[in-house]
Amino acid sequence: MRKFLLYSVAFLLLVSFNAMAQDRTISGKVLSSEDDTGLPGVNVLLKGTSTGAITDVDGNYRIVVPSTGGTLVFSFIGFTTIEEEIGSRNTIDITMSPDVAQLSEVVVVGYGSKTKEALTGSINTIDSKQLETIPVASFKDALQGIAGGVQVLAQDGTPGAAVSIRIRGIGSINASNEPLYVVDGIPVTSGSLSETDFGNFGRSTDVLNSINPNDIANITVLKDAASTAIYGARASNGVILITTKSGSAGAAKIDFKTQYGWSEIAFDNLLEGLNESQYRERFLENYVNAGSRTLAEATALYAQQFPEAAAGGVDNIWLESIQQQGTTAQYDLSFQGGTENFKYFVSGGYFDQDGIVINNKFERYSTRVNLSANVTDKLQFTNNLNLTFFDQRGITDGTRWQAPFYLAYLMAPSVPIFDDQGRFYGNHSSFFMGGNNPVGHLIEDERELKQSRIINNLSASYEIMENLTFKSAWSFDIINVDEHIFSNGRYGDGRNVGGTVNDAATDLTNWLGTQTLTYGKTFNDVHNFDALLGYEAQKVTEINLEATAEGFSHPTLKNMASAANPTGASNQTSEYAFNSYFLRTNYDYDGTYYLSASIRRDGSSRFGPSERWGTFWSVGGGYTLSNAGFMQGISAINFLKLRASYGVVGNANGFGNFAWAGLYAFNVEYDGVGGALWNQTRNENLTWESAENTNIGLDLTAFNNRLNFSFEYFTRESTDLILDRPLSGTTGFRDITENVGDMKNSGTEWNLSGTVVQSGDLKVDLSANITFLKNEITKLPSSILDGTKRREEGRDFQEYYLFGWAGVDDTNGDPLWYTNSTESATTNDITQAERYYQGKSATPDFYGSFSLNATYKGVTLSTQFNYQFGSYVYDGPGWVIHGDGRFTPRSTSTYAHNNRWTQPGQNATFPQQRWGGNQSSNTQNSSRYLFDGDFIRMRTVNVSYNLPTTLIDPTGLRAVQVYVRLNNFWTWVADDNLHFDPEQTINGFYNTVTPISKTVSLGLNIGL
Amino acid sequence: MKRVYKVLIALALVVGIQTSCTEEFLDLTPQQSVSNDDFLQAFGDFESALTGMYNQISLTDWYGRYMLLIPDIMGEDVKQNASANRAKEWAEYSGSNTTLHATEREFWFEIYEAINAANAVINSDFTPASGVQTEFNQLVGEAYAVRALAHFDLVRLYGQHYTFTAGATHPGVPIITEFDVTAKPSRNTVGEVYTQVINDFNQAISLMTLDNNSGRFSTEVAQALLSRVYLYMEDWANAEAMATAVINSGRYSLVSNADYANQFLDGDSPEAIMEIRFDLVDNPGSDHIGGMYKESGYGDYLPATDLLNMIPAGDVRGTMFRTDANLGGAFGNLRVDKFPSEGSIIATDNVPVIRLSEVILNRAEARARQNNDAGAQSDLTMIQERGLATFVSPGNTGQALLDEILVERRIELAFEGHGIFDSTRNQNDVVRDDCTAPAGKCSITYPNDRFVLALPLDELDVNPNIAQNPGY
Repeated sequence: MRKFLLYSVAFLLLVSFNAMAQDRTISGKVLSSEDDTGLPGVNVLLKGTSTGAITDVDGNYRIVVPSTGGTLVFSFIGFTTIEEEIGSRNTIDITMSPDVAQLSEVVVVGYGSKTKEALTGSINTIDSKQLETIPVASFKDALQGIAGGVQVLAQDGTPGAAVSIRIRGIGSINASNEPLYVVDGIPVTSGSLSETDFGNFGRSTDVLNSINPNDIANITVLKDAASTAIYGARASNGVILITTKSGSAGAAKIDFKTQYGWSEIAFDNLLEGLNESQYRERFLENYVNAGSRTLAEATALYAQQFPEAAAGGVDNIWLESIQQQGTTAQYDLSFQGGTENFKYFVSGGYFDQDGIVINNKFERYSTRVNLSANVTDKLQFTNNLNLTFFDQRGITDGTRWQAPFYLAYLMAPSVPIFDDQGRFYGNHSSFFMGGNNPVGHLIEDERELKQSRIINNLSASYEIMENLTFKSAWSFDIINVDEHIFSNGRYGDGRNVGGTVNDAATDLTNWLGTQTLTYGKTFNDVHNFDALLGYEAQKVTEINLEATAEGFSHPTLKNMASAANPTGASNQTSEYAFNSYFLRTNYDYDGTYYLSASIRRDGSSRFGPSERWGTFWSVGGGYTLSNAGFMQGISAINFLKLRASYGVVGNANGFGNFAWAGLYAFNVEYDGVGGALWNQTRNENLTWESAENTNIGLDLTAFNNRLNFSFEYFTRESTDLILDRPLSGTTGFRDITENVGDMKNSGTEWNLSGTVVQSGDLKVDLSANITFLKNEITKLPSSILDGTKRREEGRDFQEYYLFGWAGVDDTNGDPLWYTNSTESATTNDITQAERYYQGKSATPDFYGSFSLNATYKGVTLSTQFNYQFGSYVYDGPGWVIHGDGRFTPRSTSTYAHNNRWTQPGQNATFPQQRWGGNQSSNTQNSSRYLFDGDFIRMRTVNVSYNLPTTLIDPTGLRAVQVYVRLNNFWTWVADDNLHFDPEQTINGFYNTVTPISKTVSLGLNIGL
Repeated sequence: MKRVYKVLIALALVVGIQTSCTEEFLDLTPQQSVSNDDFLQAFGDFESALTGMYNQISLTDWYGRYMLLIPDIMGEDVKQNASANRAKEWAEYSGSNTTLHATEREFWFEIYEAINAANAVINSDFTPASGVQTEFNQLVGEAYAVRALAHFDLVRLYGQHYTFTAGATHPGVPIITEFDVTAKPSRNTVGEVYTQVINDFNQAISLMTLDNNSGRFSTEVAQALLSRVYLYMEDWANAEAMATAVINSGRYSLVSNADYANQFLDGDSPEAIMEIRFDLVDNPGSDHIGGMYKESGYGDYLPATDLLNMIPAGDVRGTMFRTDANLGGAFGNLRVDKFPSEGSIIATDNVPVIRLSEVILNRAEARARQNNDAGAQSDLTMIQERGLATFVSPGNTGQALLDEILVERRIELAFEGHGIFDSTRNQNDVVRDDCTAPAGKCSITYPNDRFVLALPLDELDVNPNIAQNPGY
């Protein structure tokens, strides 16, 4: 968009100049320092005259000057103006550098674009360079730490996993907390469409992984009402606008990018599994401690159950057996170019990631064709087409038996991987976790998801008259997901029934039509006015088909066709629709005073007829103080602006399509006959959640544009929260979906960046951001117990409500709990202990990032650190992995084994271990499993080198860059006893997901 | 003028180009569900609603697993395996009201859900066509029976036994006979709940006239369950009368000694009065009650020698166990094999709600309590000799005969969900000699607050009128 504007300006300038009679001709080429390519459209002016010229598409110019010479002034929007004495030269080549503090940069906003200095709301933009720094499938990872107020939660480290984003905190209890994603104007489907267990409750797959980060030109994060209200009922969690690359007029550019990386687990303090001798010690000791077997009996049982280990020679630390060296390979090829009337961007990408667990992988093929054509000078067409296919091979997680990072701790190291026939070992089926074999499952079982997706956006715009343009955009988003899960019949989950298979197919179609009118005009040179009026309709239909079967008779046959017993089949269709009208106006006086207002009326099928329509709006204002008279004398300040906005936006996502209706479900069966059950009670008053957003911002640029500072204060008051309000069970229902409850998020975001060193070829930039966040439930009719937390009015939404762990009784190794919140007395009997608020929450007090960017000639070093403080994290499966022997005869971690109580007087972390458990010591929802989650992580270190033009010019190439990149190489955590990655939690809860990896990558970018 | 015209056209384009912009566009109907306004408006809807209720009864959190398991693991016939996990808090009498996905919470919600479904049928003002009036009455009668069983099971789980106080004035559970989304009821007394249960079963009996298969309610099922209800109330005469009505109905006979072991696996045996039917489509796998005992399932619980020692040598009921070489030590070497389905037919054993042998033992006990030793002995002998044809009766009378009946009840009905209920109604301590629970959790003296479950915290949080059981 920016380049398009520049070309337009250049074109206009070109026709407005006329050559005059001169004495002497100067020629040359203007290059951009960004990529050393010719810069078209640069204004070349002979100082003090009206004599001028414009550079052509390759950056070349010719200008006729008096024989006496003079000074040439090179100027171009977004670049620092250069004055050059002609002297006696006839050829003058110069290189222009971008003006980093240029605020007139154009940013994408909802249904349009705006210059940065005209913004009244709170917006962050991320360009393609920042997106390329993280070698993962999802563009969302790259948003981590880049913008204040934006929290990126990469809960699951498996290739292709879902990434959650929270903009300015959690604003909803039961409805969605995910922002709205808009790709090239289409609100697209996001999250997991997995119908089977593959998705691990939405953690492990994301339909947005169809988008190749290399195709993205920029991402805009809309945070406050002034910027989001134009998206009305779906805006309250913020909006993420993704704009894909488009072609620009000029010579064709071909870019080839490739990257290869190696990965292993990032977090160094992960729990380790026992070896065989440690496990044997545990096995015997725990029976003796429990009194259920004598040492001799236990020894005999060990020999009987683990004959291979008893004979020596098995020492299988499963955690190591399931891992492999992860690798990531990425290849992207793109072509772009065109003429003034026809532009294209075409790309193809291949991304192949093998995870750090055997057979865990993600492979993507993506193509994109973005075209735009000026059919006449008033009629323009654009079409953006994206076709992607990806293939994911996943693993289960959480506390399912087959979850590798759960099972690997629990499975005895005395169980070998293979049996004496060379098959995966399964002889422990009748006494040890169903004969699970962590390695066998990864290799012999199957767990696959394939997704094809087409996103197409066709639009036509017509300039009806000067300043008034009509645009009609028609989009569709089609997703097809196929899943296949197979468990073999010899060991593990499928053992009792000869193997199981579960297949599912999901088809989702999302179509959207948007009609807009835009008007823009400047009156009397100082009154700038523009307006947008629009109508939009959208419908999403999802069809699922799922089937299960059992009984496989041949070990190599894993498809449903080979199963003996079909056990289930189901098909369902669901749909929702939106119908919307919207209006936005912007006004500014001479680039100093800004006003904006927007309103949107949304109708949604998700609500009952009486509550279907809602109205959302915002107003915003800005004042550029640095333009004011009293500021003119302060030369240190280049730009200073105050902004404020207020508005009301909605949340209509994240709950059922018919949550308001009273429903009988027909998914029940008894004795071969289908039946119906009244499973949802009616609430025709159900309507949107609303969020009142206030934002006050300040932007400052100072010291010759070398220092940038911005500050935002925000409040986000969510009302009418959609809540599954618990009912008395005697009504026959657990809850009713209602608008009850209010919640408030408030905080500040601080951003500081500056050029610390700029001398000669060396330039060093430092930047940091920090977000302070506070959450409070301001209204809730009754408390709601939710796992480790209990929601209560006046408290943080994520405050823990737990039994208070008081450690181990050093006299006898008993577990101790505090009897109540006073923590004045302890008991070893859980029935005498109460749960209470711990004064600790999963909500961080503050988080953010700091980064450094240094360039010297062609070499660039950039690094980014992320941090988070004040949040507490809960070890969800801790009660099993550290179950103190409750789960006979499961193994545990070395941490537990080495710190267990064994003798009186010993100050131990873990109670005496005994099979059957030690007095409910492993009771869930206990502060025993709560840890300080503070961390600092070195997110990226990137060293790149642009080969000098002298080296690449002879080859005919445009640019060559090589780089080496480290990701997640260093992590600091406050709590030494924390044995899982604090980044990998959702609402503070860790659930034995696949660890995040650290990666070292080498890359090569070639431009032709 | 031309400009105005152009602007008007533009506005018309924005709003009018999509013809779909009507209210209809937003009026979608659910495709897998039916609005409750449109349901119970046809005879077939009532059939579907009843099927839904039976499915509810079959859930893991009711007869699918826990309605049988919890009373037994709180009783004397079962001990924990070292790896015991599911419902272990209740076996160890250390349950609380906040345990995640706690059994006590699921019983509460699942059973009241069935009551609500039954109320919708019972309170419907639908008038069927005259040709299906009998069938319609049968369905409404079954709904009454569902409501009766639901209240009976709730009051057994959450309230102390009927004779805990004179007149049964101690707290039971709320009686629900109408849907009210705002309901926050207090607890009715145990006596009131039993009265409601009896009334509902009697109403059911008056409406049901069809001979359903053993997977559903019929008059005889209601009578059989009433014999148990009266037994718990120590209303011996009615307990005997109801038992006699079932025995004399001629619909049931004891299975032979040879068929005994596989009666649940085969299903629909001649002595099955009501059992919850399981087939491959239900497919609960290891979550079936059988999976709680078998090594191929979770294998959490084992038979206690307290029970094993009671079974006469050679008795067929002694064959319903199998050895497991991976046990040993304090765990013995036997596993419960009452629900033996495995492999391709896993978890297809039907689960008993009530069967003829219990009704006969109910009558034996009621007769003994009424000093009809001869009648009691003849009922008892039927069960003993079916188990072991050569059984020689010791010829007990009086209290000794009653004790013998209660022992026979444990042998015959073991692992069918009677354990704690039979202990408490006889005001006995729970004494587990063969016990693998932690010290102090093996013997529980009567009376005890912990003989009943905790009301779920979720209920207490939203319902200020309900009181928690003492001790929680």
